[in-house]
Amino acid sequence: MGVGAIVRVDAPGRVVFGVVMDAAAYDETRLYTAAVLRQDPEEPLQPVPLGEVRMATDDDVRMALRMDGYTGGNRGTGIPVGTYGSAGLAAPVYLDADFLLGPEAAHLNITGVSGLATKTSAVEFLLASIFQTFPAHKGSVAALCFNVKGPDLCFLDQPAELSTEDLASYARLGLSPTPFDNVRYYAPCKPDGVNLNTLRTHPDLAANTEPLTWGLREVLEYAEVVLNRDDLDAKADAFIDFLADRVVGRDFQAPELHPQEWRVLTFADLEAFFRAIFDSLENSNRGDIWRTHHIATIRKVRNRLGNITTRAKGLVTDDGASNDLPWGAFADRSVYVVDVASVDPLAQDLVFARVVSKLREHLERRDLGVDHVVVFVDELNKYAPADGPDTYVRKMLLDLSERGRYLGLVLFSAQQFRSQVLRRVVGNAGTTIYGRMDPDELATAGYATLSPATKIKLATLPKGELMVRHPHFTQPVFLRFPRPCVLSGREGVERFPPAPDLPFDEAVARQLRSMDPGIATDRVRAIVDGRREDDVRRALARTRQLRPDDVLAYFTAALGRRVEPELVTRRTGVIPLRGTADPYSS
Amino acid sequence: MKIAHLADLHLGFRQYHRQTPAGINQREADTALAFRQAVDGVLAARPDAVIVAGDLFHSVRPTNAAIVFAFQQFQRIRADLPDAPIVLIAGNHDTPRSTETGSILRLFDELGVDVATHEARRFSYPQLELSVLAVPHEALAQAERPVLRPDGSARYEVLVAHGEVDGVFPSDRSTVEYGGALVRADEFGPGEWSYVAFGHYHVQTELGPRAWYCGSLEYVSTNPWGELRDEAEKGVAGKSWLLVNLDTGIAEPRPIIPARRVLDLPRLDGSDMSAEELQAAISDRVAAVPGGIADQVVRLVVTGVPRHVGRQLDHAVLRGWKAEALHFQLDLRRPEPTRITGVGAPGRRQTLPDIVQDYLSRRQLPAGIDRAAFVNEGVELVASAERELAED
Ligand SMILES: Nc1ncnc2c1ncn2[C@@H]1O[C@H](COP(=O)(O)OP(=O)(O)OP(=O)(O)O)[C@@H](O)[C@H]1O
Ligand SMILES: [Mg+2]
Repeated sequence: MGVGAIVRVDAPGRVVFGVVMDAAAYDETRLYTAAVLRQDPEEPLQPVPLGEVRMATDDDVRMALRMDGYTGGNRGTGIPVGTYGSAGLAAPVYLDADFLLGPEAAHLNITGVSGLATKTSAVEFLLASIFQTFPAHKGSVAALCFNVKGPDLCFLDQPAELSTEDLASYARLGLSPTPFDNVRYYAPCKPDGVNLNTLRTHPDLAANTEPLTWGLREVLEYAEVVLNRDDLDAKADAFIDFLADRVVGRDFQAPELHPQEWRVLTFADLEAFFRAIFDSLENSNRGDIWRTHHIATIRKVRNRLGNITTRAKGLVTDDGASNDLPWGAFADRSVYVVDVASVDPLAQDLVFARVVSKLREHLERRDLGVDHVVVFVDELNKYAPADGPDTYVRKMLLDLSERGRYLGLVLFSAQQFRSQVLRRVVGNAGTTIYGRMDPDELATAGYATLSPATKIKLATLPKGELMVRHPHFTQPVFLRFPRPCVLSGREGVERFPPAPDLPFDEAVARQLRSMDPGIATDRVRAIVDGRREDDVRRALARTRQLRPDDVLAYFTAALGRRVEPELVTRRTGVIPLRGTADPYSS
Repeated sequence: MKIAHLADLHLGFRQYHRQTPAGINQREADTALAFRQAVDGVLAARPDAVIVAGDLFHSVRPTNAAIVFAFQQFQRIRADLPDAPIVLIAGNHDTPRSTETGSILRLFDELGVDVATHEARRFSYPQLELSVLAVPHEALAQAERPVLRPDGSARYEVLVAHGEVDGVFPSDRSTVEYGGALVRADEFGPGEWSYVAFGHYHVQTELGPRAWYCGSLEYVSTNPWGELRDEAEKGVAGKSWLLVNLDTGIAEPRPIIPARRVLDLPRLDGSDMSAEELQAAISDRVAAVPGGIADQVVRLVVTGVPRHVGRQLDHAVLRGWKAEALHFQLDLRRPEPTRITGVGAPGRRQTLPDIVQDYLSRRQLPAGIDRAAFVNEGVELVASAERELAED
């Protein structure tokens, strides 16, 4: 018996369940302190009677953790999270889907030190468990994972070999040890616009890995993200709003700049628009103000937006052809992984902001394609830090944690140090999990309610063991979970080493091949040889957008003929036609 | 850095029957005069480069007079502005249907003019930090077009092309020249060029910042009246070429003083008028023309005139006006047939040329027939038939 053991005390007419919180030894004698988990009957509340203490059985665990209320029967909502084990016991422990994915409570947060706390693994396992056991009567569910650390989540569709104990544990929990069978990967391009910026570039994995690219409109919708990081003023904000609301994607009338309506769809169009404003201000005597906006503000906004195209190059494209997540067509039990592990922080923020906002909008309108979405954000301390500027992403995560559950939008998050995360975000997590903890972290105020023995146990927790808080559990419970049945990032990159960056032409060929497998690299190489890369990217994007029958022919036509420069030196004419009168002179 | 942007000179264009004392079609002479005037202006403005955006000649085989004249005018520019590149592209009017025919424009190469007749060419003038992508009609008519983007090789990058930019024409397309290749605005990325010089549409039109149709220098289309109407709608006063400052992006119209005016007199509603009343009303209209109608190109549309009223007009007077004006067209229109409500589309009835144009553009054609040329020919036939009728 040790800390975390669940015990049962029988007294006449009453059973009391408790969990051991502390233990002290006096020579041969052990003194255990237990906290009450449940009394049966609950009313009237009475002091714990004196009685014989026994270790809990499977059934006792079910009762002690009040799982009888939501497991079993045909409308059960139990989601296996691990096994409670003591003295050879391996009792399945369930979370209540109503409290994990809403509407009663929602969200999950997991804390613990790097490499030992098995945070990422636990989330992977739990997602698999949710996909396998989320009850049909609760509707559909999908997961959207941001990969923020190297190869972490890059192989969710690849099976791992599991030990016999792990397999037994899966069996005990009624789960099948299989990887996710419906996963789609999205990664921005590298700055060359054709190689993907992810470690999942092994050719065998190409089929469900595609570029994430956005154009001006997608970016401007979330321009706040960019502005928030910088010290933009209210005037610039107003001008951005003006652009987003009135100009981009609209037919905008500005006769002083241009007699026709403006159609600003791309960054190049926007640049032309800015240039027209500057030209018009320079050429007229209207001073430095264009439609109440000062030229300095306009220049500032133009620079900031230009900054995005530079820093988020590869995510942001300028051919009007974006490739986005399947908004409106999310599928039940699918995982969508957005890999932002190696993109610029600014681009990361943009991705977070846009993806989460889109999820939210679609769930609000009930047209996402699924009823619930679990959003997994690792390294939460980076995106919702306790201290630091109140960025758009932080506000958005807070909003998600506060209001998401009404929409079916659920946040699963992880970090090494919970104390470094904005309290209100983690505080809204209905379910909290701790792996192996850092002792200094345990000494911070947030852990004051834990007994000294519990803290010691947490600081020495072996891999695969977790302490779980869940609304139904009166006290935190220690349990074990099996390794997730997917390749870890480290194993994955060994088995599927990332393909080296392809030279531009080969990368283009690879992308064309994803539309028509018969296209040979050599032919593509001959076509794009010596061409400007942005022309090639534009043609590629148009081809991807139109998906023509003859991919290569279309691509070739879209690329257009190259016109080589001809150096013209000063040219002299022939001597005048002598004696020839002007045929039209009167 | 300044460039002169001219287009659609249509040298050799002929219309109406009046001839000069030397026996040349008067409108052909007018067209030449407008070009000479433009060249005078160009020489005075001394731009760093001169650009002619297609349709120098009205036809693939211009008259000798037109060829000699064009040669002389380009020679003037060459001699007076020895350092200025002159870029000339072929338009749909001066592009031969078959490459074997050879282009008359090649001749100008001898003058030191940089000519693009069939393929696009990118002329690079390092001493001016200027690069000009010259895209003739034929290059746009092919399936595989050239890329219409700057190559970043020069400080000033100019695109010159001849074709129909998608989406900028009036919805009633009666004034649009047929046979132009269609270009999407996103194909040439207007914001990326120092300047985009288009030819094909005869009414000066801004396509976007630093992108223009400079328009023709004379009314050289089959439908000058529609051109007048488009000009009025766009607030364009007459014809001009453009002097463009590539540093500021300002395109300054340099007006041409026309040899004569093309006047579409305010319409008359002749319904319920007797022949005498109508005759008086028409005479008033004619008398009200400032400076009179002598040597002008004039049209007066009168609606609601039944055939018998038209016949009773004083034809001696009409003949007098016809002799006085270079071209006088009294366009008497029958009363509209009363329309059965609920049938047919509401709105303007199409004119005969409109209907012909519409029909020919849709009609099935045997393989190998160039639709643009075919439509042009048909429309021109109808127009000349109408002219003859009007002139009788
Ligand atoms: N159920 C388990 N039982 C035993 N070991 C496990 C279990 N799950 C994962 N591990 C091992 O624990 C190690 C760390 O796991 P994981 O990467 O999930 O940790 P983490 O807390 O996310 O670390 P980091 O903070 O560095 O991301 C891995 O080597 C993994 O194989
Ligand atoms: Mg991790």
